[in-house]
Amino acid sequence: MSGAPADLPEAAARRFAEGAFTSGLTVPDFAACLQMGLEPVGFVQGYCVMQWKWYGMGGMGLGMGGYGAQYANTGGYSENWACPHGMVSAEHRAWGQNFEQTWVESAWTEGFTSAYGRMVEEAASVGAHGIVGVVDTNQPLSDMGVLEFRVQGTAVRVTDGTPPADEPWTTYLAGQRLAKLVEAGYAPVSIAAGVASVRVWANCITENLTEGSNSMYSMAQPGSEIDQTVKAHSVVRRLARQRVRDQLGHDSLHGAAMATTERELGQGDAELQCILRGNRVRRFKDFDPMPAPVPTVRLL
Amino acid sequence: MTVPAPVGEGLPAPEPVDLKAEMIRATEVVGRSAPGGKGPAKATRMLSDLSIDEELVLHSIGWEPIELVSGVSIHSVPMYVWNWGQGEIEYASAAYARSFARATERIHAECTKAGGRGVVGVHVEWGVHRHHIDVALVGTAVRPVDGNGLSADPVFVSDLSGRDFALLHNAGWEPLGLAAGASFVYAPRRSMGTAVKQKGQNVELTNFTEAMYAARESAMERMQTSALGMEGTGVVEVKVTEGPMDFAHHAVGFTAYGTVVRLRTGEHRHVGARMILPLDDPVLGFDATSLRGS
Repeated sequence: MSGAPADLPEAAARRFAEGAFTSGLTVPDFAACLQMGLEPVGFVQGYCVMQWKWYGMGGMGLGMGGYGAQYANTGGYSENWACPHGMVSAEHRAWGQNFEQTWVESAWTEGFTSAYGRMVEEAASVGAHGIVGVVDTNQPLSDMGVLEFRVQGTAVRVTDGTPPADEPWTTYLAGQRLAKLVEAGYAPVSIAAGVASVRVWANCITENLTEGSNSMYSMAQPGSEIDQTVKAHSVVRRLARQRVRDQLGHDSLHGAAMATTERELGQGDAELQCILRGNRVRRFKDFDPMPAPVPTVRLL
Repeated sequence: MTVPAPVGEGLPAPEPVDLKAEMIRATEVVGRSAPGGKGPAKATRMLSDLSIDEELVLHSIGWEPIELVSGVSIHSVPMYVWNWGQGEIEYASAAYARSFARATERIHAECTKAGGRGVVGVHVEWGVHRHHIDVALVGTAVRPVDGNGLSADPVFVSDLSGRDFALLHNAGWEPLGLAAGASFVYAPRRSMGTAVKQKGQNVELTNFTEAMYAARESAMERMQTSALGMEGTGVVEVKVTEGPMDFAHHAVGFTAYGTVVRLRTGEHRHVGARMILPLDDPVLGFDATSLRGS
C-alpha cells in the first residue's frame, strides 16, 4: 500500500485509528467471517452525488421530430426506423430511432465508480485485504435529475495473510455464502456493475402499434410484434452484459442480478435502462466435485 | 438401555476444509494481478445469476452455468378490443401466446449461441397492458461439464431453480421447456331486467363466474396442449393469475405457465428424503400482549 490516500476525510482517518472495529455484518455473518480467517477492521463507505444532463440534450444535435429530422449520433448503439409511407403530414412520425444514451451511462458509471473508489480508498487506508457484504444503492435526491450513489461494506483483514500489496478485493457476499464460494475454488475479485440506457423515438408504425391505433396509413397488421421496442429491449440487455463483460478480463461473474426498467413516454416513445450487477470471481483451484446432496425433509 | 444411533449416522463425513488456508490462498491469487487485469488466461468466463448454492448443486449432477441469456417480445393489442363484447377477446389471448412464444424462441437462440444445453432459473416478467402485451425472460444457460449429463435433446428453457433442476434430474426426470396459456374473456352485460331484479340482493353474478371459468379452461388447455406438443408428461411449478383487467373491469383474464417435464429414465427414482429435526427453534420471548389473555 502506498501510504494513506490524501483525500480521506480527516474524521474517517481518526476513527479508523482509534482501535475498535466497526462492521455492518450480521452476527451470523460476523461469526462465519471469523471462522474463515477474516477480521473486520472497519465499516467503510463511499458516496457520490451526480447531476444528469437533460434528456435528449446530450450534445449530439438531436432533431426534435418531424419529417426529415436529423438522426441522433450518440457515439454508441444507434438504429434508424424509417417511415414506409413517405410524406403524410407534419404530425406524422416520419422517422424513428433507437439510440444509446451514452451520457446517461457515463454519469451513472462515474457516480458508481467514484462512490466505489472512495469506499475502497477507506478500506486501503486501514490496511484491509478485502471488503465483504457490499451494499450499493442509488436514489434520486430531487426531481432535477440528481442521483445519490452509496456503496458500503465491511473492510476485513486476512488473518496471517501477507500485507496487502494492492487495492482490496470486494464482494457483495459475506458469511456462509462467501465461505462456500471460496471453498468451491473461487476468489472474490471485485463487485462489477454495468448500465445501459436506450431511448426509443418511435416511428409511425411503432406509435400506431403501441397506442393500439389503426391508422389508415399503418402498414403493420393489427396485433403485430412491436419490432422497434423489442429491439431496444434486446439491445439494452446486451449492452449491459457487454459493459460488465468488459470489466471481467478472464474472470467470471457470479450471482448476477439484471434489472431492466422502462419509462413509457407516450406515443410509443420510451426510455429503457438495464443495470447488471454481480461478483467478479477468479478460480484459484480446480473445482472439487461435490457429492450428490442428500434430500431432507424438515420435521417442523 | 441402548442409546439409539444418531439419525445422521452413516452419512459420509465431509472432507474437512481449512477455510483459513483457502482464504489466504484466494487473496494471494487475486493480489498477484492488478485489479481490472486479465486474470489467468486459461480460465473460462461465465456469467451467471445463480447463487453459489445453486452452482454447487448443479456441479453435483455434472452441470455448470455458462452465460446470462434473455429473450423479449412485445405484441400490440389493437384499439377497441377491450370494449364490451361477447366471448373471448381473441386478439389479447393471441398476443399473449405470441409474445411468450417469441420470447422463448429468443432466449433459446441465445442459449444455443452460447453453447448451452438449457436455461434454468428463468425469471418470467410479463405485463398485460391495454395496447400491448410484454414478456421478458432472463435466465442462466447451463451445460453438462465435459459433455456428460442429459441426452443431447433440444435445448430446454425452464423457470425451475438450479436446485429444483438437480432434484428433478436425480429423480430421473428432465425439463423440456416452458408452456404457457392465457385467455381473456368478456363478462357479458346483464340485461336491464336482470340488473334491476338483482339490485340490492345477495346474488351470484353468474356472468363473471362463467367468464372466469371460460377463461380458465381455455388457458389451462392451451398450456396443456403446448406441453403435449413438447412430448411432455406434465407441467410443474405452474403459476396462475386470474381476475379482471385493471383497465377494463368487464374483462377477466386467466394466465398460466410452468415447466414441462418428462421421465428421462425408464421409471421414477425415489430420492429417499431423509427426515431431519432442526434444533434451531427461535427463542421464545416475553410477549406483553399475552397478559391481556388475547
